[in-house]
Amino acid sequence: MTQAITINNLTYQYDDHELFDGFNLSIEAGEWVALVGHNGSGKSTLAKLIVGLIVANGGDIDVFGKRLTVDSINDIRAQIGMVFQNPDNQFVGATVADDVAFGLENIELPSNEMPQRIDEALHTVGMENFKEREPHTLSGGQKQRVALASVLALGPKIIILDEATAMLDPEGRASIMKTLQNLKAQFGSELTLITITHDMDEAALADRIVVINDGRLIIDGNPDDVFSKSQTMHDNGLELPFAGELTARLTVKPKKYLDERELIHWLSPSNK
Amino acid sequence: MNNIMIGRFVPGSSWVHRLDPRTKMIVTFVFIFVMLFASSWATYALSAAFVILAIRLTQQPFKLYWDGLKPIFWLILFTVVLQLFLTPGTPVVFHVGPLQVTWPGILNAIYVMIRFTLIILMSTIMTLSTPPTSIANALESLLAPLNKIHVPVAELALMLSIALRFVPLLMDETQKIMNAQKSRGMSFSTGGPIKRARAIVPLLIPLFVGALQRALDLANAMEIRGFKDAASRTKYRVLLYGRQDVVAFIGTLIFVLIFIGIKISGV
Repeated sequence: MTQAITINNLTYQYDDHELFDGFNLSIEAGEWVALVGHNGSGKSTLAKLIVGLIVANGGDIDVFGKRLTVDSINDIRAQIGMVFQNPDNQFVGATVADDVAFGLENIELPSNEMPQRIDEALHTVGMENFKEREPHTLSGGQKQRVALASVLALGPKIIILDEATAMLDPEGRASIMKTLQNLKAQFGSELTLITITHDMDEAALADRIVVINDGRLIIDGNPDDVFSKSQTMHDNGLELPFAGELTARLTVKPKKYLDERELIHWLSPSNK
Repeated sequence: MNNIMIGRFVPGSSWVHRLDPRTKMIVTFVFIFVMLFASSWATYALSAAFVILAIRLTQQPFKLYWDGLKPIFWLILFTVVLQLFLTPGTPVVFHVGPLQVTWPGILNAIYVMIRFTLIILMSTIMTLSTPPTSIANALESLLAPLNKIHVPVAELALMLSIALRFVPLLMDETQKIMNAQKSRGMSFSTGGPIKRARAIVPLLIPLFVGALQRALDLANAMEIRGFKDAASRTKYRVLLYGRQDVVAFIGTLIFVLIFIGIKISGV
């Protein structure tokens, strides 16, 4: 398997505070990784370091085997798309189509190829009927889907969502999660997804969960492993999904982590 | 704040809406320039006819334009009063102390009022029928020759369109902050002018802080999507002059020629 991102011995200081000190992480191409941690754990800083929006004090970051440096930054950014937290602050264009076009204009795509790319990207996120709409007429979830389309239009190999659902209502959050699952189904191993979140229901959708706290890697494993370590999660200021919290309080526990539906089934008397 | 019509875009698909934004901009500037030379009833009547025709072609109700004039009513009134009292001339109609109202003064005041109104109506037609980004694009295209003397036209146009894009957002935010402060007992509409002005300060500070945060976020989002500089970009919306633009230009030309004709014949 090829490595999408390899972080080696990363150090980063933030306000006289050693946030990352010898941090290591590697993410394989095609993986869906959820990066979780409470506020201030360094998860968003890590994302900014990967795309070179801020510069590390030491250590290396490789993206598809290419070292992140001042010279390679534009090539690396061409492979990574990023969706940020605030839906309004990343909407550049005056309409949905203009916003998706913004990135295409930057990479100097000929004008006549743009409409097709825009339509395809909007179709992928289910926003094709909103092409001429202005941002203030859209809901938060719709704006974030447009932000995702803007990133998709550029054909990235890695997409990072930095708390992209944190400011959305439950409905908007669900629509983004659904869109991400569709994306993963459509692109498979061609697309590496990194979702940064503190919502465990969101994290549960990923293939792998990486818990960080204060710039240190606490747990790294699949959702089942991670959710079965409830004490460690609590110690690091994180709440488990409902099923996980319930399991942690049971005297007789199931052998492996069960999600809500499986747990209901396991608990039901007809099963005993 | 929602009743400000100046600069507001009203979506539609009328003949004027479909014109190239550059055409609308050029016609508007030509009209404003020509208006400076209007000096007789005939020329004003002709100009008014031109504006009324243009308004009809936007397929928007007159009331919309009337609302557009309201905010500038006081400015118009002020100039009219100045003209009324400060124009010297012979047939003095009446006088109040040292101020005298003359017949040429009354005539001038009416002329100025018509001129003002027509110019504002014409500009409203342009902004009402053209999305802000198209106005920015048109400016970029029309000012392109200035690139030769190193004016960063593309940067300025992009800045303008982003600024316009954030206007509704900042309006919203202002309203939110005002509501938050009203709920804590702040009043924005009572007291003298000084008290009212001071009430604005605690409104501006959070607004500025918020705007700076937005700017930083936006800069990150733009950088991630490959923005390097405004000049080396292709365009999604390509401006193309069409048949109706030719018609609009010919129409404007006829208007200018008749105008000159009236001026020369001295009607």
